[in-house]
Amino acid sequence: MRSIAQSIIRVASFTGKELRELMRRPGVLLSLIVGPFLIMFIFGLGYSGARDPFVTEIVIPRGNELPRDPEYYANLAPGRLDVREVGENSEPAEERLRNGDIDLLIVAPENASTELRAGRQTTIRVAWNQIDPVYDQLAGLATSILVSSLNAEIIEQAAAEGISFAEGEIEGEVTNVPPEIIARPTTAATENVAPTAPEVLSFFGPAVFALVIQHLAITLTALSMVRERLSGQMDRFRVAPVSSMELLVGKYIAYAVLSLAVTGLVGVLLVGVLGVPLLGGWLVFAAIVLLLTFASLGVGLLISLIADSERQAVQLSMLILLASVFFSGFVLPVSDFAAWTQYISYTLPVTHGIQTLQEHMLRGGVTSIWMLWTLLAIGVVLYIGSLLRLRRVLRTAD
Amino acid sequence: MAEPIITMRGVTRAFDDRLAVDDLSLDVVPGTILGVVGPSGSGKTTTIRMLTGTLGRTAGEIRVLGEDPMEFSRRTRGRIAYMPQLFSLYEDLSAQENVGFVAALYGIGPFKRRALIRRALDVVDLWDARHRLARDLSGGMQRRLELACALVHSPDVLFIDEPTAGIDPLLRQSIWDELRELKEQGRTLLVTTQYVSEAEFCDRVALIVDGELVAIDEPEALRQMVFGGDVLQVDTVRAVDPELLSNEPGVERVRQTAPRQLMITVHDAGSMTPRIIDALRTGGVEVAGLEEHQPTFDEVFTGLVEQRRAARGHLDTDASERGAMPNA
Repeated sequence: MRSIAQSIIRVASFTGKELRELMRRPGVLLSLIVGPFLIMFIFGLGYSGARDPFVTEIVIPRGNELPRDPEYYANLAPGRLDVREVGENSEPAEERLRNGDIDLLIVAPENASTELRAGRQTTIRVAWNQIDPVYDQLAGLATSILVSSLNAEIIEQAAAEGISFAEGEIEGEVTNVPPEIIARPTTAATENVAPTAPEVLSFFGPAVFALVIQHLAITLTALSMVRERLSGQMDRFRVAPVSSMELLVGKYIAYAVLSLAVTGLVGVLLVGVLGVPLLGGWLVFAAIVLLLTFASLGVGLLISLIADSERQAVQLSMLILLASVFFSGFVLPVSDFAAWTQYISYTLPVTHGIQTLQEHMLRGGVTSIWMLWTLLAIGVVLYIGSLLRLRRVLRTAD
Repeated sequence: MAEPIITMRGVTRAFDDRLAVDDLSLDVVPGTILGVVGPSGSGKTTTIRMLTGTLGRTAGEIRVLGEDPMEFSRRTRGRIAYMPQLFSLYEDLSAQENVGFVAALYGIGPFKRRALIRRALDVVDLWDARHRLARDLSGGMQRRLELACALVHSPDVLFIDEPTAGIDPLLRQSIWDELRELKEQGRTLLVTTQYVSEAEFCDRVALIVDGELVAIDEPEALRQMVFGGDVLQVDTVRAVDPELLSNEPGVERVRQTAPRQLMITVHDAGSMTPRIIDALRTGGVEVAGLEEHQPTFDEVFTGLVEQRRAARGHLDTDASERGAMPNA
């Protein structure tokens, strides 16, 4: 009984010490709370989610009967094309594309309608000059929309000519189907059934939040333990009747308390001030944050036990942050990656944190329950690993 | 004599192929201060870390409070204290909070802790500075704070690594006063220092050079060991020939340090003083003054190290001669 009480005293001593040290650094504390909120606030204000339309030039050779009004083509792919000019000569347009004066060049075939009536396929040449893979994909998408619309236009023209020809021959109405219906027999009526509107801030808010929690937990823990080692405190712990379990639990509790406090404040600001929806309850929200913190603390401890210096601990923390930005689904969906790369994604706590927080906040419930179990598993595995490593470290410096 | 509370037998510690401590043996009996003296890098900290179990040994046997430091039980850990050489406390915590944290590491509850913190800070005269952050304390105060942390759980055995390093002489004296006070309370202390003069505060002194134990004994016995007895400084009214005393029974050695001054090594200063005065008068030399010369510990340790080097040189010469004559 006495030894349990003493263990509790030791655990509490570590928890109290960590929290006191953090409180004595108001700058750190301020950046912990204000920093994440400020990042999200600026992100929400500054990021519109809309991309500039492609500056486009269309070349329609002489003799082609396609329209020559730029606005007509801009309307075929609304918001995606900024058609500056419709010309007849492709060579200067090609030059402008290579110089970067325009983003997209579309060259129509010389006699599309005639070739179609003759049963031959023609080619619309589309060229762009992009090094950004996202813009490259968007250019392809805009092009396919435009080409579909042009195809429909050509069909419509051909159909209209065919109907006129038939009417002339038989002097009567040959069909009651208008050419535009023949060219575009269907239209789409769209509806997004998600419980919240897909807005940039709402979607990325929980992701930034998860990333901040992970980074906070990793950095603070990694630095804390490295400092203990470098300052010589480990020798004090080796001599004192302290177990590695007491040391670890004390630190875990301190950072869990801190993370929850920061989470509470930032969460309130996120939902209350920035207006990010929270369709699920606060309790589950806190549970997700706790699991994410638990797993992230494990990563931080692992770093702290292998890093030789504070600088190395910071470098490793930054590497984890970089990996998180790329592989966690923060910027690019995890499903876009090759299967083997997805394993990297799922070893990062933040991958699970982002998806479950987005589901909970924006859909009202976590459907990927396995991700919560994975977070727990990552936390437990890293805790046990850190405990074993710390036990060795505490046993002797040798 | 009481059973030793600390024993080392043939202890060796190697780092790669360098021997930091070589075949070290010593004992410390309860309620005494053993000073481990030696120049920087001589193996003092390695020795103290092996004794506290924070560093393993390559060979040999160590017992502290009857246990191997590498296998200390929790109970034994609670009875010892270690004050490291470098300041390792938390700069963002106050003096009081640092001592409280260390007390909690030893399982002392918050109510009992308060009184113990006060007592520990009082001992090192830091109670008035209890609310100051550790980073705002001077170097000397930080060393005293380390000492307070080592004392707070009332340990039986204290391992104190260079408590006076980088501290002004006045404060060094006050820290040694505190260490002597702890000894008076019945605690056992093993204290390392590179200040040879501090050997006089210890009950026994171990001199370590290059990881080897050069000598271990009481300070006075070490003096005797170096000078072969007591040293008398004799001033005469006129120039004196040292040969006058060379055949006097009980006189070990006579050195002339000035035309009218002799340094005479005798077996026992008390009994030899009147005989030397008589011998000089008989030789026609009046004594102007006579006193027992107390060699400083700097002189003592310089002498010990020189004796060791001489012995080594002798051994090395023997070894090389043996090497030159393999059949000898």
